[in-house]
Amino acid sequence: MKTLISIIATTAFAAFAATGVANAEPKSGGTLIMGTTQKARHLNPAVQSGIATAVPGTQIFASPLRFDENWQPQPYLAESWSIAADGKSITLNLRKNARFHDGKAITSEDVAFSLKTVKENHPFKSMFAPVSSVETPDAHTAILIFDKPHPAALLAMSGALLPIIPKHIYGDGQNAKTHPANSKTVGSGPFKLVEFKPGEHIILEKNEDYFIKDRPYLDKIIIKNFKDSTSTTLAMDKGELNILPFMSATRDIGRLKKNKDLTVTNKGYSAVGPMNWLAFNTKNQYLQDKRVRQAIGYSVDRNFIVNALHGGFSTPATGPVAPGSPFYAADVNKFDLNLDKAKTLLDEAGFKADKDGVRFSLKVDYIPGPAEMQKNVAEYLKPQLKKVGIDVQLRAAPDFPTWAKRVGGHDFDMSMDVVFNWGDPVIGVHRTYTCGNIRKGVIWSNTQSYCNEKVDGLLALAAVEQDQSKRITIYQEAQKIIVDDAPQIFINTLPYHTAYSNKIGNAPLTIWGMMSPMDNVYIK
Amino acid sequence: MSTVQQQTLPKSQHPFVEAVKAFRQSWAGLLGFILLLAVIFFALAGPYLYAVDPFEIIWAPLTAPGLVENAPLGTDHLGRDILAGLVHGGGATLFVGLTAGAITITIGILVGSMAGYYGGAVDETLMRLTEFFQVLPALLFAMVLVTLFTPSIYVVSAAIGIVSWPTTARLTRAEFLRVRSLEYVKAAQSIGAKDRRIIWRVILPNSLAPLIVSATLTIGVAILFEAGLSFLGLGDPNTFSWGLMIGAGREYVLDAWWIVTLPGIMIFLTVLGFSLIGDGLNDAFNPRLRDR
Repeated sequence: MKTLISIIATTAFAAFAATGVANAEPKSGGTLIMGTTQKARHLNPAVQSGIATAVPGTQIFASPLRFDENWQPQPYLAESWSIAADGKSITLNLRKNARFHDGKAITSEDVAFSLKTVKENHPFKSMFAPVSSVETPDAHTAILIFDKPHPAALLAMSGALLPIIPKHIYGDGQNAKTHPANSKTVGSGPFKLVEFKPGEHIILEKNEDYFIKDRPYLDKIIIKNFKDSTSTTLAMDKGELNILPFMSATRDIGRLKKNKDLTVTNKGYSAVGPMNWLAFNTKNQYLQDKRVRQAIGYSVDRNFIVNALHGGFSTPATGPVAPGSPFYAADVNKFDLNLDKAKTLLDEAGFKADKDGVRFSLKVDYIPGPAEMQKNVAEYLKPQLKKVGIDVQLRAAPDFPTWAKRVGGHDFDMSMDVVFNWGDPVIGVHRTYTCGNIRKGVIWSNTQSYCNEKVDGLLALAAVEQDQSKRITIYQEAQKIIVDDAPQIFINTLPYHTAYSNKIGNAPLTIWGMMSPMDNVYIK
Repeated sequence: MSTVQQQTLPKSQHPFVEAVKAFRQSWAGLLGFILLLAVIFFALAGPYLYAVDPFEIIWAPLTAPGLVENAPLGTDHLGRDILAGLVHGGGATLFVGLTAGAITITIGILVGSMAGYYGGAVDETLMRLTEFFQVLPALLFAMVLVTLFTPSIYVVSAAIGIVSWPTTARLTRAEFLRVRSLEYVKAAQSIGAKDRRIIWRVILPNSLAPLIVSATLTIGVAILFEAGLSFLGLGDPNTFSWGLMIGAGREYVLDAWWIVTLPGIMIFLTVLGFSLIGDGLNDAFNPRLRDR
């Protein structure tokens, strides 16, 4: 009977395991405690993309520019800047009082060195590809020289993408990607690194010698690592944290929205532009036909996914650029649910149903981990595409590298995927669509093997167009073609939300959100 | 009381016939048998009696049981019918249990009988191998196996079988050690029977009783194992099984208890059934327990 009792116990385990803010003057002092599940490997955004490094990195390192909530560049390390009439150079006039945390003055040499380091080491090659040189006529003037006009350079000079790192430390000949200073950082931002215990916490304290007068307000920032989103959410709910960014589990968001001491907002993520989509391998024998891809588009009910599966917290996506970006195109084929049209398109493509109603079979991959955006949508596709005669088999990946190897290696039919816009389309959007970026083995390149010369031409044109409104028009035209070509079916943007205590003033809600200096944040 | 009652010895019967008789008197065995028959009927006939596609989204997600007619037991996180899931998931769950059980028994008996019969260097080698498998943490090892291949119901069954056989092997070896020195084995050897015949036709049938008991329990454990793997997200996403339902529903357990509880109950009843049968068989085969 002992076995029996233990079996009962195990089975039972298996079954059950399972703003009303008053306005006040900002004041100095206090500690900001932030929760996160993202583990930073090091703290130098110059050689590493991603949220985990960018959030602490932008507190420690200052950058030439920063952006407000309306996508407008603001002075930061550069107190002013000017773009040459031909668009082929940008002159940065640096602050004269800016110093690194070790007391050394920041000069144009550091800017030139940082840009070179980023260009050589950062995964986003398109950010500074057109930069041919950086001239340093004097200690406080840096001139970026481009081969061709490069309007994306402004957004690329944000803190998450171009941190100014000290040449006197990194210029010692060691590889920047593995430099010991990446974990013992010396920057010039509003906060200095006190302690970095990977996977546990990062402690930052006020930089008394910060180049902006009377800032920052906070004495300290503690970034605490948690194992999973549930425990982070509980800690926030109980008041152990005062800010929790990058929440994406809708249950957690819903739970914290009920807490009257907290504000929960989706502001602060428009530059990241986190797209959740269904990508096609356009070399697949069925999916190479545009009509098949469009048919799948007409079979997917985005409203059901956003409202029923994501509790209404995510936003429907309609194209490669996230809504909220100035380059977003609303006037595209929206692929509203239309099963009859889908069937007609599949018939036209010549894929007739067999006696069981099946036309053909496709595998769908998804990123392992939190299921809501990825696995659940893939599971939704199975019964939904069956309605138009496509048999869908889910292919689980045991871990992220397995998934990345399959999709990066073009060994897939369809896959759910998450790709970030990263501010300017040149940085985060072009990579998915240009013919030249079909690079086998590289995840988040053009893994769809999509190639349309007209789109290539438009993207190349937009990359050098200096007139913002003309640039927007070109991108809108490109998006219209891309959406109609359907190398992906755009599902939604991730429901990133930030929860913060109502005691926090000037919460970081600019386009870069928490990936920008928190020198204006204060505690009431 | 002076009359001496004459005691009649019971007529000798084939031990299996006696065992069946004893089994019928064991309440545990009978209850388990009935339970298992019910589960098997549910899993095999259910899909015909309740022909709703378990993958189809029929109603709003996370609808509680009893609220809408077409989802009597509620819906899961995608809006799929829980009852359809239960009905269609039983087959896969039983399949994994039986297949993994069969693999366990086959490997276990093969290894155990060789080691027990031949002894010496063969025994040493095979037992070290067995110990190697026994000291590996079973769940972790199974996870590695499933990770190496794409999770499918076959890979999962094989993985469970591969990590579970050492217990059976040791049990078989112990039985063989006991039986091989008995006189009828010596007799068989003395008339020149080949090793293969002695192992399969002489020793194995006489060692079978504890192995059968162990086999029924193994099936129960394999079903729980599958539930555990699915719970960790390593199940086959294209085949409905009760374990998979629990695994997918665990994120929603605070909001929708029925997603994990209902398949949990089904697994519980199935494993209980196998376990009770095991108990009953143990009573039946063990002469010392028979009169209790």
